[in-house]
Formats: sequence, structure tokens, C-alpha cells
Amino acid sequence: MENAYAIEMLNITKKFPGIIANDNITLQLKKGEIHALLGENGAGKSTLMSVLFGLYTPEEGIIKKDGKEVKISNPNDANDLGIGMVHQHFKLVECFSVLDNIIMGVEPVKNGFLDKSVARKKVTELSEKYGLHVDPDAIIENITVGMQQRTEILKMLYRDNEVLIFDEPTAVLTPQEISELLQIMKNLAAEGKSILFITHKLAEIMEVADRCTVIRKGKYIGTVDVKTSSPAELSALMVGRDVNFHVEKKPQELKDVILSVENMSVAGEPGKQDVIKNVSMKVRGGEIVCLAGIDGNGQSEFVYALSGLLPVKSGKIKLCGKEIQNMSIRKRSMSGMSHIPEDRHKHGMVLDYPLEDNMILQTYFKPNFTSKFGFLKRKNIRSFSDRLIEMYDVRSGQGSVTIARAMSGGNQQKAIIAREIDKEPELLIAVQPTRGLDVGAIEFIHKQLVAQRDAGKAVLLVSLELDEVMDVPDRILVMYEGEIVGEFDPKAVSQEELGLYMAGAKKDEVKV
Amino acid sequence: MLLLIQYTIIFTAILSLVALGGCFSEHSGVINLGLEGTMVIGAMGGALLMRMLPDGTPVFLIVILVILISIVVGMLYSCLLAVSAIHCKADQTIIGTAMNLLGVAVATVIVKAINLSINPDDPSSIVQYVAEKQAFLVNIGDFEFNWFSLIALVALIGSYVVLYKTRFGLRLCACGEHPQAADSVGINVYKMRWAGVLISGMLGGLGGIAYIIAGASEWKFENGVAGFGFLALAVMIFGEWKPHKILMAALVFGFFRALGNVYSGIDFLSNLNIPSAFYTMLPYIISLVILVFTSKKSRAPKAEGIPYDKGVR
Amino acid sequence: MKKNILKNNGFQTLLASLVCIVLGILIGFLVLLMIEPSGAFDAIMSIVKNFLNYSRANLQIKNLGKTLVKTAPLLMCSLSILFSYKVGLFNIGAAGQYVVGACASLYAAIAWQWGWLPCLLLACVASGAVGALVGAMKAYFNVNEVISGIMLNWIALYVTNMILGNVKAASNPYTRVLAEANKSAILPTMGLDRVFGLQYVSIAIPLAILFAVLVWVVMNKTKFGYELRATGLNKNAAKYCGMAENRNIILSLAISGALAGLGAAFLYLTDIEQWKCTVSAVPQMGFNGIAAAFLGGLSPIGTIFASFFIQHITEGGTQVDMTMYCSQISDLISAIIIYLCGFTAFLKLAMNKAIAKFESKNAKERSTK
Repeated sequence: MENAYAIEMLNITKKFPGIIANDNITLQLKKGEIHALLGENGAGKSTLMSVLFGLYTPEEGIIKKDGKEVKISNPNDANDLGIGMVHQHFKLVECFSVLDNIIMGVEPVKNGFLDKSVARKKVTELSEKYGLHVDPDAIIENITVGMQQRTEILKMLYRDNEVLIFDEPTAVLTPQEISELLQIMKNLAAEGKSILFITHKLAEIMEVADRCTVIRKGKYIGTVDVKTSSPAELSALMVGRDVNFHVEKKPQELKDVILSVENMSVAGEPGKQDVIKNVSMKVRGGEIVCLAGIDGNGQSEFVYALSGLLPVKSGKIKLCGKEIQNMSIRKRSMSGMSHIPEDRHKHGMVLDYPLEDNMILQTYFKPNFTSKFGFLKRKNIRSFSDRLIEMYDVRSGQGSVTIARAMSGGNQQKAIIAREIDKEPELLIAVQPTRGLDVGAIEFIHKQLVAQRDAGKAVLLVSLELDEVMDVPDRILVMYEGEIVGEFDPKAVSQEELGLYMAGAKKDEVKV
Repeated sequence: MLLLIQYTIIFTAILSLVALGGCFSEHSGVINLGLEGTMVIGAMGGALLMRMLPDGTPVFLIVILVILISIVVGMLYSCLLAVSAIHCKADQTIIGTAMNLLGVAVATVIVKAINLSINPDDPSSIVQYVAEKQAFLVNIGDFEFNWFSLIALVALIGSYVVLYKTRFGLRLCACGEHPQAADSVGINVYKMRWAGVLISGMLGGLGGIAYIIAGASEWKFENGVAGFGFLALAVMIFGEWKPHKILMAALVFGFFRALGNVYSGIDFLSNLNIPSAFYTMLPYIISLVILVFTSKKSRAPKAEGIPYDKGVR
Repeated sequence: MKKNILKNNGFQTLLASLVCIVLGILIGFLVLLMIEPSGAFDAIMSIVKNFLNYSRANLQIKNLGKTLVKTAPLLMCSLSILFSYKVGLFNIGAAGQYVVGACASLYAAIAWQWGWLPCLLLACVASGAVGALVGAMKAYFNVNEVISGIMLNWIALYVTNMILGNVKAASNPYTRVLAEANKSAILPTMGLDRVFGLQYVSIAIPLAILFAVLVWVVMNKTKFGYELRATGLNKNAAKYCGMAENRNIILSLAISGALAGLGAAFLYLTDIEQWKCTVSAVPQMGFNGIAAAFLGGLSPIGTIFASFFIQHITEGGTQVDMTMYCSQISDLISAIIIYLCGFTAFLKLAMNKAIAKFESKNAKERSTK
């Protein structure tokens, strides 16, 4: 009898020093089904997939393909077994063409030279068959994220893979691109491909998946039939308790304008168009304004221009009425701007400094920490750091002297937030402050943002997560290709409507 | 004037060879600052062989053997970089610097030891190869053609084809741009980087022997190769890591380097009464100026200098 | 619980440096064996013993003095390397800045008859300016400091030969001896010359040590050091919190250059050596500074000892039997030491892994009992 399962991962256990990433997990993927793997950040999904790809060797458990036990010790083995994966961070060489990326590793060769004509024909055929519309000769860095993802899909199809794994594929897409992707996945399954769909978005699971396996904190929770389940059930399985997504806020008390941006443009890379085009907006005291949009539409550059990391090409930025567009980063920070950066490892911290030295990163030069002769006042620094650790519940192994690198992401983020809020800014800019954090930390951070608002300060939140966009702010601005294309009251707009704006399908004239 | 052209050609050839060496290594993702030392070692290998070959060895054999030994020695030497940079995550700048110092020290120690063992009164680090040098030269009228010019041309064309038209080149460049991507499609990043560094050592060694043969008929190894390896790196940056542009860049640098050798024979220049040291410095000054203008927008392979670790992704 | 000394970062650095030294000497010995087995052991012993090769106490101390005189400039060079490396820059141009320092101090001393202090200051300023040039090119034009540094090394060498050619002795290619040309330019000795029985032992030695302490204080105790280290560890974070990145790059390379330049003045103003105006290679001193800096675990205090060691074996190298070997065997050993220093991070990682393994094994055994 033919085996019904394409892939079976039975009783997988994988340990790392100090942590059990996968604890006796079982996952069975039927042929031709779309199987969702659901779990929070850090639940062990990536580890499980790395085991399947031979990147990690599990301590216990076996893997079966078509009912036969197989040994996968590197990605090549997985490839040979017809298993392919679209990674969360695309594995594409940016300066190569789409075609070069697809054939890489399995290049057709004639007389020792690359023979791209055969490959191009096959790619074009596959692209048409599944409705992918990819130009094989485009250079990766010039095409959209959606197209890049399709390149990744073509990479699997080109290798005739039977088992396709999608790792959080919708995180970087517009709602429209998402629905197209889900359709493509359905087409693939209809053609007999078996699909494993890793996600933490319930709506998408409900739409395409046949079955769903849930893991939580490295443990196997269960496998459910999606048709007979509900989002509420899945959610409860995923987090282990009912989550209150709603953020408590006091009634709004609007104050004076704190941040005002007037006709600001920011130049793009040489030879390319501006990344920010003539944008005007205001943030007042006592409100949280969310700048929403798909990743890469200029939000990062907008914030860089505000904080001074990027120069402004034209236009004005006013903070509490003062023009700041020509000020240095330091002066802007001193004038009442705090900035929780998007990438805490790149900008937010000096990871090899102890926690206390990170706590004073924005204020080390003040008389409280530096003497007249330029010497650091270590005692003051220690007591300051101890106070913030206490107040914001920053957990670290050895308190103030812990090297920042040794702390968890959530606690690093808490430390940054403590530092930025303790400066008592008039304007707090928070860029994706909850990215990659667990539910508890997210709740804490949202509370801090709201506390600033309630204290009459201005908060500018940049977020990619629709849940956050809908729940936290008082006002939403949507940014698309460097322009603000819509302004909304979160209580009066639907996610679908926002999606249309984020994808550039709709556009308003936004008055300031 | 003919002399100027002759020297320009040979220096362009040498710079191209070594710059291509840097190019292969960097496309694989490893910065090879040790090219200078590799040149010295390659030159030493070739020079010692030339001295040891019996008189009357056929010209053809001399050329082949000397080239072979320089290539082999250069490759062996570059293993120092490969082992440390690819497997031990060592700082590639430190390793490169150590290799440059080590190259001169090793060559000096070995050559002096050999000189002493032949003649106890000769503690110099000089190797002579007056007769053997002629094997590499062909006189066409007054013009001295050096076989290395042809070799460099072949290397340039070959590199272009290898980098852009073959499976190996595609994979090599992928390792320097995005090693995780390469790994995910089953390309062995470590192997490709080894290949890049070894090719780099091969071309570096070849450049080394070409350099000392182009100069005089003897070489004092205490002096190393006077920063030529670094000039080649400047050529590589100026040439944007692409073989055809490297040729153009090498022509510019080669011309100024040649000027230093022959300016006294050009009436116009010798009448200017500029001290000779100025001409000697010229290539270095030019390279500084060019770097100032080209470094800002240089597009180096993205992952160069970053050790690849399978575990981190 | 007792803290495992093996886990201490400082101890690991020391251990790694010692491993580098032992391996370096061992490889040097192997090379000597290959050249001529009969004298290899004696030769490596002369290198390691240096001044202890002499049997009489007063000769020993005199030669120790000679080593110390040259340790001072080496220490300055390694401080120069270290200072810029803390900011994430590799100032291989220290070798050329050292040359510039020699040029400035000697020319001012002989041609302008300046006293020693202004000569030192001029060396400082001139070399600092060259360092700043490297920094400016890095900061404003993104020029790789290693490549520009090397180019400037050669330019500095040729320019120096040209300038110092004007103040050279009539009969040889060396600059004039200061004892004859300008006594006031020779560094004061404060009695140190009598202690060591060598007139070249001067205040340069205590001054260099003072500079090492100063560098340590600046790096670890001041706002400026906090900024520089932050820039070196995470350039982006430094920029994000408003540190003036370009200013710090230029300033640190200028200081780095000044330190190297002072080093040269510390040597040539003792009059122990004169500049050879036909020299065709950049002096080894600046490069040995790299070895000493890394061998010292990039700590200013560790560098004091590392500099002495490197100079010790370099001097020792001049005492090998010249009928069989050459003094460059010491350069070879220092080059090997630099190479091995590239592995220290890897070595520490391996050590920590081994400790972790050992501890978890121990813990298991304890729990089973």
C-alpha cells in the first residue's frame, strides 16, 4: 500500500546548551495537503525546520520520507529528497539575475560553460504554469519583495521539489500579494505538491490550510483539522491562554503640535528617485500616531531623516516649533527627541558594553556622568543604571555589569526603552518596538507607549504588524513608496481598507 | 618612448595578475591583504629555481618550470590565509599583515642561509639570474617582449570567462555576496573560499616572479616588492572587482609606474628637473588620489571579510 | 562557588599570548634546524637570552639598557596601533608615521638647531597630521585605511630620504651624529645613563611607560575613551546616539600617528642610531608595533611587556652566529607571532567551549552521585 505521508518527523528532540528547543515533536505531512505549523516567535518552528534540512542533528527522533526512514545531514540531502524551502529571509544573491539565482547549485553546463538557454525555457514554462509572471533576466535588487519570493518558489519548482516549505512567507507582503501567494499555494497543492506553511497568522491558516500542527515553547501541543476548528481555538492552543489584544487607553487629551514635518524629501541612492517625496505630517502631544506600511516603503528613511541619521534634501522638520532639520543627531536628541531604533543590535546597543554603559548611551556626556575634565563618574552611572533596571524590570544575569550581548532580546529592548523614556522626551519615536518579542514583553512595551501619550507627550510609532497598527495608535498614516497616502482613525477603518492603501491601490490627498 | 611603452606593458601585466588574484579571493568572500607577501614568496621560489637550473637548460623548460614553481609556492603560502580566515574566523587584516611581514622575513632568512652555505663571506639576500632572465624575453627590434605580458592577457580573458561564463564563477561570486544563499542550495562555501584563496595565491606568486624579472637581473629580498601588492589591491578597487575594468585600471597605474623607470630618457620630463624620488612616489600618490575618488561608491562583494559560520543564519 | 580562573578574560588573553610566544619560538627553532642543525639550539638560546648572553654583570646591564632604548619607540608604535584598533581602525600607516616623526625631529634638530622638547613636539604634530590625513580619507571618502596607510608609508619614506639628505654627514649616507651637530637636541638622561652605563638610556623610557598608562586612562576612564570604544565596537550605535563619527575617526588616527611619531623621536633623539638616507624599505619598528600590540592582548599595560619581549628577541636576533644564520630570524618569529595572534579569538572560544563541556560533565557526575 502506498504511504499517505510525504514527510514524517517523529518524536524529534533537539537541545542547545541550557535550552530544549524541540521537545519530542511529531509532524506528519500528507501528500498534496497544505499543512500549517503554528507557534509563537521562539516556539521552536525554525529549529524544527533546520532539523528537517539537516542543519541540526536531533538528539532523538527519526524522519521518514514516503514511509521510509531517511538520514538528512545537510541541505543537499534534503534537496535530493525533493524538499525545498522559501526562507523568511530570502536566500537570493542581490546582484545576480533571477535566472542565475534559480539555477545556482544545479547549473546546466555545456562543454564546461553555463548553458542558460535550457534553463531559461524551463523557468519561463514553470512561471506560466503557476501564474508567477517572473522576468528571468531581472536583477534581484531591482524587483519587488513579492517577485523575489516568487523567485524563491521557482527555485524549488525548478528542482522538481515535491515538498515545499514556506517559512513565514506573508510577513513582508501586502494584503493583495498575500492573497495572490495563497492562491499560488493552492495551485501548487492541486498539482500534487505537499506544502508546509509556517506562520503565526490565524486568518491565513483558516483560508488555505487543511491541517495545522501547533507547538508552544518547544513542545508539541497537537494537530487539528482546520475545517473543524476556529481561530479562537488555534489561538488558545498557540499561546496557552486567552490573549487580550486590546490596549487600555485613557480618553484622549490633545495638546500642542510637537512634531511637524513640512514638505520633506529625502534623496535615495545616487541615480535613483527620492525615498521620501514631499511628505508633510504632524504629531501632537497626547497622541500616538502610527506610520503604517509594507516594509521598505520609506518608513525607515523617514525616521532616519527625523533623527538625523540621513540628511534631508528639502523641506522642514520642526520639534516644538524649532526647526531641527539641520541640527546634529546629538542636538535633536537634546531638544527632546527619543528614538527607539528599528534594529536594536545595529543601532540600539553596543553589545559588548556592559548594561550600565548602554544605559547612558544618550546621556553619557551630561555633567551627571562626566566630570569637567572629561572623566566618567562611575558611581553615578552605576546608581542610575540600577535605578532604571529596577523601574523597568530589566532582567540580566549580573545587573548593571552584565554584558549586553548576554541578555535576551526582550530585556535588551526593555533597556533601550528605559533609556529613551527616562530622557523625558517630548517626542518618542518607536520603530517596530515589539519585533521578535514574546507576548509579555509586547504588552509591557505597548503600556509604556500609552503611558507617554497619557502624560501628554507625542509618540510616533512605526509598525508593520497589522494588529499593532489597529490597536495601539490614535491615528494611522499609511506610507507607500515614500509618500503618505492615507490618514485613518483606527476605530473607523477595516484591515482590508488599510491593505488597499498599503499596497498603493488607493490613495488620498492627505491634508495636514 | 618605446621603452616607456615596453615598461607600461609589463607593469600593467604584473598589476593585472596580482589584482586578479585579489579579485578571485574577494569574490569568494576573503580579503587577501597578504598578496604583497605572497608575491615575495612566489618571486623567491622562481628566483632560487632560476639560479639552481644548470646552464644550458632549454629556454622553454626554464619558463615552464619557473612559472610552475612560483605558482605552487604562492598557493602553498596562501594556505596560511585560507586556514585562518576560512576555518578559524581570524581577523583577515591581521593575518594579511602578518603574511606580508612573514613573506619578507622568510625570503630573507632562506636566501641568506643559502648564500651563506655557498659562500661563507656572502651574508646578502641577493639572488642573481642574469642568463635565465633572458628566457622570458623576446627581442623584436628594439622592443623587449616579456612572456608575462601574454600570460597576463590570457589570465585576464580567462578570469572573465571563468567568473561570468562558468558554473564555478557563478558559485564563487555567490559565496562572496551571500554565502548563506550559496549554502542553502548545496554549495560548499568553505570549498569555494579555499578555491578563491588558492587561485589568489597562484596569481600572486606569478605576479611576484614577473615583478622581479621585469626589474633587474638580480633581486635583494630584504626589500620585498615595495608595496606592489598593495598597488594591485588599489587597481582591483579601481577596477571594481571586474577583470575588464581591472585591465583599464592597471594600464593607468602601470603607465605611472613605468614613468618612474624611464623618465630620465624622455627629454621633456628630464628637463623639468623634478627629483627622481618624485617619480618613484608617483604611483603611490596617484593611487591615493584615485582611491579618494573611487572608494565612496565602490561596490565590494557584500560578504567579504566576514567569516562564514554554518551555524549562524 | 569558586570562580574558575580559566574563565577570566584577562587570564585567557595572557594564556593565548603565551601560547603564541611558545609556538613562535618553536617554529623559529624549526627553521633554524632546517638551515643548519648543528648551531640551532645555541642560536635560539641567544635570541631568547639576548643581554643574558653576556657573562659579566655590567655588560648584561648595558645591553639591557640597549634593549630598553629601543623598547621605548616600539612601545610607542604599539600604543599607536592599539589606539586606532580600539576605534576599529587598523593603522598600518604607523610605520610611515614613525618615519615622518624621524624626519621631523632630526631635521629640526640638525638644520634648525632646536632643543629636544620642540623637536619632540614637531615630530608629534607632523606624524599626527599624516595620521589625520589617513583618518580624513577614511571618514570622508571611505578609503580603506590599510591601503592608504601603506601608500603613505612609501611616500613618507621617499620624502624623508629626500629631506634628511640635506642634513646628512659628508662621508656616509647617515644623518649627522647629534652629539656633534646639536647636543641640545639629545634627550636628557636624568642619571639613567649612569645606572645602565650607556649614554643613550634617556627619559624616553619612563616617558613611553607614562604614555602607556595615559592611553589606558584615556581609554577606560574618560568620556573620550567611552566614545572611541563605542565607535570601535558598534559604529552604527555610536552614530545613532550622536557621537561625531568622522571627528572620532580623524582624531583617533591623528593621536595614533602622533604616538608613532613620538616613538621615532624617542629613538633618534637619543643619538643611538642615525637615519640612513638611502634606505629602501620602511623601518621594521612600526610593523613590530603590530606584533607587540596584539601580543599584549590590546591592553596598554600588557603592551609594555609585549614590547619589551619583541625588542628582546629582536636584539637577541643580532647575536646569533652570523656565519650560519641571519638576524632576520627574529623578524620571522615576530611575524609568526602576529599571525598566531589572529587566532586568539578562536583560541578563547575553544577554551570557553572546553570549559563549558568540562563543567556540564562534572555537573552530570555530581548529579548521578
